[in-house]
Amino acid sequence: MLIPRFNYHKPSTLKEACEMKAEFKDKAIFLAGGTDVIVNLKRGVISPENLISLNGISEMTSNSIDNKKGQTAIGACSKVAGLVKEKFLLPYSALKTGMENIGSPIIRNLATLGGNIVTARPAADSSPSLIAYKATAVLNSVSGKREVSMDDFFLGPGKTVLNDDEILSAIILDTLASYTGSAYIKLGTRKALEISLVNVAAILTLEKPDGPIADVRIVMGAVGPVPLRAKTAEKILIGEKPEAGLFSKAAEAASLKDCSPIDDFRGSAEYRRDMVKVLTERALRNALNDIK
Amino acid sequence: MKRLINITVNQKKYELAVESNMTLADMIREELKLTGTKKGCGLGECGACTVLLDGKSVSSCLVLAVEADNREVTTIEGIEPENGLHPIQQAFVEKGAIQCGFCTPGMVLSSKALLDENPQPDEQDIRRAISGNLCRCTGYQKIVEAVQSVSIRKQTA
Repeated sequence: MLIPRFNYHKPSTLKEACEMKAEFKDKAIFLAGGTDVIVNLKRGVISPENLISLNGISEMTSNSIDNKKGQTAIGACSKVAGLVKEKFLLPYSALKTGMENIGSPIIRNLATLGGNIVTARPAADSSPSLIAYKATAVLNSVSGKREVSMDDFFLGPGKTVLNDDEILSAIILDTLASYTGSAYIKLGTRKALEISLVNVAAILTLEKPDGPIADVRIVMGAVGPVPLRAKTAEKILIGEKPEAGLFSKAAEAASLKDCSPIDDFRGSAEYRRDMVKVLTERALRNALNDIK
Repeated sequence: MKRLINITVNQKKYELAVESNMTLADMIREELKLTGTKKGCGLGECGACTVLLDGKSVSSCLVLAVEADNREVTTIEGIEPENGLHPIQQAFVEKGAIQCGFCTPGMVLSSKALLDENPQPDEQDIRRAISGNLCRCTGYQKIVEAVQSVSIRKQTA
């Protein structure tokens, strides 16, 4: 399978990368891990005049923890395989599980967290968790940088708020509140190299060790054009004591009111809707068990 | 346009002029004639083209050769000692883990990446480590047994 010709650029700083993108706009695409871009080049889905490699920019692979702000910034080009082994990621169980579910080991050694996000696939494994954690995307361009909540980042399949001249440089995670737990469950027909049929991320914060629920976010993937919040389900849960009956009621609401699945070759809308109920209930239970 | 890259393959240094749209898999096979690295799907789904890039297992069909500039690659040819076979290769032979052989280089290198990091993997670790490598002869069980036998040998050594 041949790759079309392109002009190859390898900037060594973020600033330089921004300048190149400002010059080429939609005539250039970025290359990070390549697990999507190279496949799309080979399939003829994309044939850009310019390819800008981000793999020579050290600031894009560095992760930093700011204890004062209570924030962890993950470089957009950090490799998935490396990130899942990082100690700072341990409290973020849902994101860790999500990233462990991307592709296979030989894919995760190449793939980057930023790449999993900017491709904006509705079934992506890291996006639901990032939305659930209220993560922030840092977008850079020659005119400066802006921060966008992951809640607002996705516009549709393959579409994000990123402008032609912008680059996703980092993802910021806030430190989790006390008595917080989270979980991610992916449903597929096999355990590796799989695209989610349905996936659900849940994060649960209790007021004190035995409840009630102070905050909860449930995000469902592959059941809409972008990962969707299960807002009706969240409303049912807030202020209540966490227990099995309540989780079941919330999961039912997520399935009936919060998702909009479609039929495709991977599964029917009806099946996906049923699975939203099952996975939401399990994700909530796992998130509760994850509270230390 | 061709670009000059410096690359270490199997501990040998090369300076090569490669087209920027050439994959690492093609460079290894076409330029260096190291045909032990196989090309299967070309889309990162089969694992036949697995090589070690700076010690990590990757699909070489998803990496541009220009991106491997100043990096170190190990192919299946590179793990073979002067005399005989690498312990993982030997185990594959002894345990009957090779049928048609097309997936074998990738399987061996994914196993090597695992054992380098975790010398005593359990069965699940092994299955996870080779989960990106397809064996269309479906000989997975023997492959897992071969990797297990190497880790047991390492433990008793």
